[in-house]
Amino acid sequence: MKALVFERSMPRMAASRLASQLGSGRGTRVAPLRLVETDPPPCPGDDWHLVTPSLSGICGSDLATIDGRSSWYFEPLVSFPFTPGHEVVGVLGADGSAADGSALRAGARVVIQPVLGCRARRIDPPCPSCATGRTGDCENTAFGHLSPGIQTGFCADTGGGWSAAGLVAHESQLYAVPEKLSDADAVTIEPLACALHGVLGSPITEDDVVAVLGAGTLGLATVAAITHLSGRGLIASPRVTLTGARYAHQRALAREFGASAALSPEHLSAAVRRHSRSMALRGPSGARLTGGADVVFDCVGSSESIEASLEIVRPRGTVVLIGMPGRANVDLAPLWHRELRLAGAYAYGTESVRGTDRPTFELAIEAVAAMGTGRLVSATYPLERFEEAVAHAGAAGRRGSVKIAFDLRATHRGGRR
Amino acid sequence: MSPRPGFVLEVDGSTPPTLFWDGEGFTLERLPEGSRIIYAPEPLDALKDPVGAIRHALAHPIGDSEPLAALLRPGMRLTICFDDVSLPLPPMERPDVRQMVIEEVLDLAAAAGVDDVVLVAALALHRRMTEAELRHALGDRIYEAFAPHGLLTQHDAEDPENLVHLGRTAEGEDVEINRRAAESDLIVYVNISLVAMDGGHKSVATGLASYRSLRHHHNPHTMRHSRSFMHAPSSELHSSNWRMGRLIKESGVKVFQIETTLNTDTFPSQFAFLQRREWEWTLKDRVTYAATAKALDTVPAKLSRQVFHSIRAPHAMTSVQAGEVEATHELALASVWRQQGVVVEGQSDILTMGLPYICPYNVNSIMNPILVACLGLGYFFNMYRGKPLVRPGGVLIMQHPTRPDFNPAYHPSYIDFYEQVLSETTDPNEMHKLFEESFATDPWYVHLYRTGHAYHGVHPFYMWYWCAHALEHLGRVIVLGGDPGAVRRMGFSPASTMADALEMAKDVVGPSPSLTHLHTPPILMADVQ
Amino acid sequence: MKTPNPLGAIGRARFPLGAPDWPSGVDRPPPERKVGLDYDHEWSRRYPARLLRAVMLDNVTRPLAQFVAPRTVRGDEYLRLLEAPVIFAANHASHLDTPLLLTTLPARFRHRTVVGAAADYFFDRRWKAALWSLSLAAIPIERARVNRRSAEIATDLLREGWNLVIFPEGGRSPDGWAQEFRGGAAYLSVRTGAPVVPVYIHGTRRILPKRDEAHPGGSGTENRGRPLRRAPVTVVFGAPLGAADGEDARRFGARIERAVEVLAREVATDWWAARRSPQDAPGALRGPDAVAWRRAWALGPPAELERANAWPDVRLARVTARRRARRG
Repeated sequence: MKALVFERSMPRMAASRLASQLGSGRGTRVAPLRLVETDPPPCPGDDWHLVTPSLSGICGSDLATIDGRSSWYFEPLVSFPFTPGHEVVGVLGADGSAADGSALRAGARVVIQPVLGCRARRIDPPCPSCATGRTGDCENTAFGHLSPGIQTGFCADTGGGWSAAGLVAHESQLYAVPEKLSDADAVTIEPLACALHGVLGSPITEDDVVAVLGAGTLGLATVAAITHLSGRGLIASPRVTLTGARYAHQRALAREFGASAALSPEHLSAAVRRHSRSMALRGPSGARLTGGADVVFDCVGSSESIEASLEIVRPRGTVVLIGMPGRANVDLAPLWHRELRLAGAYAYGTESVRGTDRPTFELAIEAVAAMGTGRLVSATYPLERFEEAVAHAGAAGRRGSVKIAFDLRATHRGGRR
Repeated sequence: MSPRPGFVLEVDGSTPPTLFWDGEGFTLERLPEGSRIIYAPEPLDALKDPVGAIRHALAHPIGDSEPLAALLRPGMRLTICFDDVSLPLPPMERPDVRQMVIEEVLDLAAAAGVDDVVLVAALALHRRMTEAELRHALGDRIYEAFAPHGLLTQHDAEDPENLVHLGRTAEGEDVEINRRAAESDLIVYVNISLVAMDGGHKSVATGLASYRSLRHHHNPHTMRHSRSFMHAPSSELHSSNWRMGRLIKESGVKVFQIETTLNTDTFPSQFAFLQRREWEWTLKDRVTYAATAKALDTVPAKLSRQVFHSIRAPHAMTSVQAGEVEATHELALASVWRQQGVVVEGQSDILTMGLPYICPYNVNSIMNPILVACLGLGYFFNMYRGKPLVRPGGVLIMQHPTRPDFNPAYHPSYIDFYEQVLSETTDPNEMHKLFEESFATDPWYVHLYRTGHAYHGVHPFYMWYWCAHALEHLGRVIVLGGDPGAVRRMGFSPASTMADALEMAKDVVGPSPSLTHLHTPPILMADVQ
Repeated sequence: MKTPNPLGAIGRARFPLGAPDWPSGVDRPPPERKVGLDYDHEWSRRYPARLLRAVMLDNVTRPLAQFVAPRTVRGDEYLRLLEAPVIFAANHASHLDTPLLLTTLPARFRHRTVVGAAADYFFDRRWKAALWSLSLAAIPIERARVNRRSAEIATDLLREGWNLVIFPEGGRSPDGWAQEFRGGAAYLSVRTGAPVVPVYIHGTRRILPKRDEAHPGGSGTENRGRPLRRAPVTVVFGAPLGAADGEDARRFGARIERAVEVLAREVATDWWAARRSPQDAPGALRGPDAVAWRRAWALGPPAELERANAWPDVRLARVTARRRARRG
């Protein structure tokens, strides 16, 4: 069975980094990513099960890895060679149980919560984060009986979603996919969980002006999360949600997901200014607001987007980084002077919603059903065409798409395309 | 040879192609046989001695008014208000009529020993004029005598200290105007009636008013019931202004109105062909046309914009009258009609027009898409008396590049209007309900209006309301040569050639439609019978 | 060493190349001296001369004048409403006035304007007469009184549609204040019906004053003894005047002077203030009726060009500081 494998090769990483200067996803040919014939990874224990992926998404962090742009910070937290792919919906190979303890039959559709926390790593007692359910913040992702790896898709022992051979998942990682959700819906559960986690961790209050920078999968998922949560009364309803989206189809989707307005990024600041009734100053990078949005979600994670976020947030406001940043060159003067909060929002775990604790993935499954985020999946590719797939994902916005995924269903049925 | 009146030409096989303005440029288009082209009357002869005529008008007022000299006495407060940079179009060669008139008024004031004199640019919610524009309108001498002492002011509709609420009309309309003007012993209003909409009570009641007052007539309802706003008797806009003007008079504010009219001598000699009929183009005209069109094609838009905005029109005064507001306005209107009126028989299915580089709100600036709509659907469409040139449900084809370019200093709220309002709705009523208030009271726009040279935050809405009557009347608006994105954003249809545009129009009005082309500028008013 | 002189060679050549000898039997007539009022200047208004002058005015005189005397012009917009012929009556303080005024006029007037120049000063030698006729379209005018011959020349030219620049003071000011206006401009206007545009020129004396030959180092040293000193000037045009019905040249002349006086006041204050000051206010044009030093004092400090790199004047600052210290 085929699987994509990412190896540790400095010259190839350097080459792909160079090639990616031409555009994200352009360096796949020289990147240390290869299609290999492989067997499913051995099961690390009884509470681990084989899952055969049906759909597996290409995420921004995957692209960063292939492009060689990923931060060196993650170096000790991954183990090579690994099979990428952490947005996975698949079919369970044998009877088992899900994270909530319910029984799962072989052949059940499951979605994988990819964080490899203390439970999966058989570490007892768990770290303080895992003890309180905040698995995303697990302190032991480099330890235990597994190789280092923050998530499935970055660990040498578990396999990943970009594989027809399958991957192994711990029971704590398994969530059943409701019948009514399609595979496309299910593959967006993971990004939506990220967005929900970021939104639930932010201090949105009634009548706030909220801005979302970026309208890729995460940006749109964030808009959907705000609409979904405020619609159910799980968070306060902001007065307006403004989205900065470069491409027309992104703006249309943002509107569909409930953004009050979607604008091209250069006009976002003007819209935030108008809705927050603030004044503007002429700054080095254009207009800088004196007031601004109460909460800004940066779903891009570049130096430019962080800087732009800091310029449109009100004094004492909050900027939440949902998109994965790396080394950034940002002027922090406004952070200091305006007493801003710059917060990260990584992955998922357990959310405290209106007094009850619920796993983020459960909330995400509900949200996906309600918002129909499956429409974000714009194109799927077989594994063999991975170079095309990655290039498409790297240019998704420009090519009128959002989420690109690998479709492995044909391969399970034994057929070849 | 005395100037020839305007007329309607029927296109036949021998008719040469017709000039269509295209923003900062022009094209020649061949219209289908049987189409009608409305040509403006030629410019009337100028008054031989304009300064003498002004003196005569001030000494022989019209209606219930004493001569100006008799109204002036030592110790009085005199406020001289004048129309702003939106008039005339294009800006006229020096001396501007405002300068000529105000110098005569000041001469009389000096002779009468009046000390307390303040000049106010009656700009309502328009942008403040720059020093160069004030110097151009008033002349350097008046500027240098009054500006350094703070006696040359520009109306500030957002300065609560400087506004006074005079009351409400019977219809409940607030009348709030400039305090200095309202508390003067005499307001002398110096106007330029370039088109039939200008002047009368609109001068003071609009020019010196605040948003609180203006919103009563600058709204979609009024504009839909002004058919057209160029013809006061059928214009709700004017009825409202007249009610306000009468209230101003009743509350004891004394206005001495001076109205001037200009001829339509619009372009200097190097662009003479622009106001000639195509079949009368001389060799020189044809060569200039070819050279200019070619040159404008090759140079960047910014440069051609500069060239056009440096045009100073050789406009000359055709009449000046002064005295009581309504009587004076009647006379001025007659002069406007004498210059601009053309009798046209019946409506047609399609109305075509070429839009020039300038409208009242982009002097020395960029004509953005909203102003394009306003010029075509607001101004040119409404240049009629009786009924519109195009039948209900008909099609308007207008030519303009309609690039989504904006001047951020003059039109900051236009950018937000384009990005944030037009992307939501193009319905005047809906934007009135959903957005107007927030734009009108936005502190940043207010700041830019008061301290910079920005149009008021609500101004782009007014531009759109100006189109309300046309939007309701027309079946479709086609912008020939317009930027597709911008044109669609405004709810119109882009077309790249005249043939395409006509085909698209036929989808709406049916095969073999009748077509009328409004050959303007120079400005004309169609008397549709 | 003597260089070979081609003209000399012609001079030495024999007739017909050289000049013929005068036969001794014929009386030699006294040489004609056509200078002063009799100078024939018609050639200067015909084509080659006119074209040459136009080219010089536009390309040499104008930029030079602009450099030496950066100017502020007021009231020129009204010239657009005028038709030739027009008489421009200006005060006179410097030789610079003529080129300055000519180059300030709109092209429509500039190239069709003659300048009245003192016959006894500018036309006393043939070469001077030719130079001024060619370069400034000067025509000789008798300055002492209204002379029939000079009046005829000017009247004819006005009737032919030429505009005329005339300095009614009859000569440059000796002390910076204007002298009494003479009747020439008014007389010509009454005779031809051409309107008179009053002009006030301010500041040329700071650049090139009239030198008091009798007292070197005395009056006329405002330019600090340099041949030319750069300074800003102001040229103000007034509204055109015409003689009223039954008004004679003398009274009209006085009215022209008053009009120039209002323009002078406009420069000293502003247009509005000039209009409001009483008619009998102390003369802005002719200066106070007082002793010479007070008249000089009343002229005020010279206008300076703003310099791009204006360092503080250290000496002056020190003096002021010392004075302050003394007072304190």
